[in-house]
Amino acid sequence: MLLRRLGLGAITVWLVSVIIFAGVEMLPGDACTAFLEREAKGKLLENCREDLGLNRSALTRYVDWAGSALQGDLGVSANGQKQISELVGYRLRNTLLLAFGAMVVGIPLALFLGVVAALWRDRPVDIFVSTSAIFAMTIPEFVSATLLILVFSVWLGWVPGIVLTSANAPLVEFFPEVLLPIGVLTLVMTAHILRTVRSSVIETLASDYAQMATLKGVPYWQIVFRHILPNALLPTINVVALTIAWLLGGVVVIETVFNYPGLGRMMIDSISDRDLPVTQAIALIIASVYVIVNLAADIMTMLANPRLRTVHLRQG
Amino acid sequence: MKTTLGVASTLIIMASIVVAEPSGTFRQAHEVGSGSGSSLDPISKGRVFQITEKVMSRLVRPDMEGRPSPDLAVSWSANEDATVWTLKLREGVTFHDGSTFGSEDVVYSLERVLDPEMDSPARSAIAMINTVEAIDEHTIQLTLDGSFADLPLLLMDYRLRMIPEDAGDTIATTGVGTGPFMVESFDAEGTTKLVANMDYFEGAPGVEKMEIIGITDGQARLQALLGGQIDMERGITAQQRVMLAGSDNFKVQTIPTGNWRGLIFRTDVEPFNDVRVRKALRMVADRQAMVDLVMGGGAVVACDSPVGPTDQYRAEMECPQDIEGAKALLAEAGFPDGLDIDLHVATLEPTWPVLAEVYQKHAAEAGIRINIVQVPSDGYWNEVWMQKDAVTTRWNERPADQALNEIYLSTAKWNESYYKDADFDAILSQARSELDFDARRALYVQAQEHLFDTAGTLIPYHVTRLVGTTARVNNLDAVENNAVRWNLITVD
Repeated sequence: MLLRRLGLGAITVWLVSVIIFAGVEMLPGDACTAFLEREAKGKLLENCREDLGLNRSALTRYVDWAGSALQGDLGVSANGQKQISELVGYRLRNTLLLAFGAMVVGIPLALFLGVVAALWRDRPVDIFVSTSAIFAMTIPEFVSATLLILVFSVWLGWVPGIVLTSANAPLVEFFPEVLLPIGVLTLVMTAHILRTVRSSVIETLASDYAQMATLKGVPYWQIVFRHILPNALLPTINVVALTIAWLLGGVVVIETVFNYPGLGRMMIDSISDRDLPVTQAIALIIASVYVIVNLAADIMTMLANPRLRTVHLRQG
Repeated sequence: MKTTLGVASTLIIMASIVVAEPSGTFRQAHEVGSGSGSSLDPISKGRVFQITEKVMSRLVRPDMEGRPSPDLAVSWSANEDATVWTLKLREGVTFHDGSTFGSEDVVYSLERVLDPEMDSPARSAIAMINTVEAIDEHTIQLTLDGSFADLPLLLMDYRLRMIPEDAGDTIATTGVGTGPFMVESFDAEGTTKLVANMDYFEGAPGVEKMEIIGITDGQARLQALLGGQIDMERGITAQQRVMLAGSDNFKVQTIPTGNWRGLIFRTDVEPFNDVRVRKALRMVADRQAMVDLVMGGGAVVACDSPVGPTDQYRAEMECPQDIEGAKALLAEAGFPDGLDIDLHVATLEPTWPVLAEVYQKHAAEAGIRINIVQVPSDGYWNEVWMQKDAVTTRWNERPADQALNEIYLSTAKWNESYYKDADFDAILSQARSELDFDARRALYVQAQEHLFDTAGTLIPYHVTRLVGTTARVNNLDAVENNAVRWNLITVD
């Protein structure tokens, strides 16, 4: 089972690389015209294409790239002549910092609020939490980001609004600049997760075994902690996994608004530079993260739920 | 008590010394236009000019009125027909790496620009220079391929900065020059740090450090200014100005520039190959209305001349909207019922779509039906500009001679309207060799008037630049980047 999933994952990653390559190829212009702009004419353009090897056919370039990528060599960026592994490494680290910060705050907060909202369903606390969640989910990230900057940076002056730290600076230097982006991410992800948690807990509360336990006279809090929560939280594992994958994939809008030097902003920059090798490398990372995190989530669900485990064993 | 007084007076003395020393940090953003191709090589396409302008010097620089004034060259003179120019160089100047500046460095720097192998975009600006020779340690001689009376104007080009001899292979990352600031660390996409050059030939600069920060997103740059994370943002919009004007924490400078936006009708295709049609298309524009509607009043009306309002060669012309005149010209050219035009517009320049819509309304009054075609910003310069028949364009300020030659000369590489006019070419070449200033000025004016009669390019205005700074910034010259004396800035 695991092997099959890994195989499917590899195929997914390969398909993504083909689609991204074809997508960027289809965009008008190439790395040279993007770099030279108006000067992209005649000899200047020819020399540039020669230097970057853009004269070869798209297929040749893809095969070349895929060949070295398989050997772990992501190549050099199209116009900066820098090693991609070096460029992407720091960006990946910065995106991890952002994602980790949001996860550490957001996941416990979402679980707590979701359970609270479900247990006090339709009471003021639930109405407040659920309404806030809907707001946080529906307001576009760039709007909430701009609002937070306006309030906390421009008006109150508590934290810097825009991230000015270099991509390769030590992690410590990202404080306190990283706080606002983490705040915006936390808002969005907390809202998503807590809604799933809430409905899942409510569903479990209404289940036969919960009612049975109540009828048998098991104390309320014991029901909640021993019977409801373990069962209710299972379905949320997948939502949490999706959210983590979304975070690790580089949150393009947030990173652009805050000028945060992570994978998402680098992806945007490399696409507008028509820097195929860099775009490809980032796409590969993001695709792999999705595959791995989803796989991990499925395995966790299976381990936590004996019923699923046996089903798969019988099939296998 | 006495000791307290003593300490206090010592402190005061120390404070007054500190005032004379460079102090504080000035921070500014740049848009990382060249991405990971960014470089400190002043003549490369990827040069980050916000850095090179502070660390390297030119031979000649513009003064506050835009006229040539000494930088690394202290004086210059030409032979009788302005084909050979002799420049005297400043003595006692050292580069940031400690080496002495001399004529060999100038020869190297200029020959590097002229070298076809270098592919420098700056080459076309000084292509008339045939040879660069060192006469002695502090004298160089430039031999041109023809007469050129305004060579010093061209040497003011923001890219023509002097680097040490044989530094070509390393300059892209070291940024060694003779400017008021030195590169401490270079990171185009992050923060580039500069420190004061205490040995700068005009004396130590006012601030101790400068940080030039890469922020690609325009909105993020404004947020950074509002939050006090950067001290200056050049080119804020009229809408953004409102946000700054209401606060004591910010100052806004208004700087007339030679930057322009315009519409091009290719002069080599039907129906624009008829000069009457071209003229009519430009007569329908109400330029003042365009300035007000598109630029919020932040522009100076132009009569289809690319020469900016502060340029000494600018022709003063009147060009009010003339709907009846345009109709008459169109009827004469065989279009009594008006005509249909597809105008290609991208959001690459945010004001283009607005300009196109205002023009659409004006043109409709004369029966010209403009169909606005939205095209992607990506690849605009390759797929649309100089390809389609009617497109939008934009240019940054250039000296009169350069603007007229690079965009309108029959043989110009960037002749975006495919304008070919032997009379116009002749006026320009005559102007270049005319040594008398007034006579030369008359010729350049004539060239602009000729364009107004015949060109296919509608230039409704020159943009006025708005520069926002934090209130702590002092002594920032209210001129374009090209002429700002960065060494004079101080911060509180």
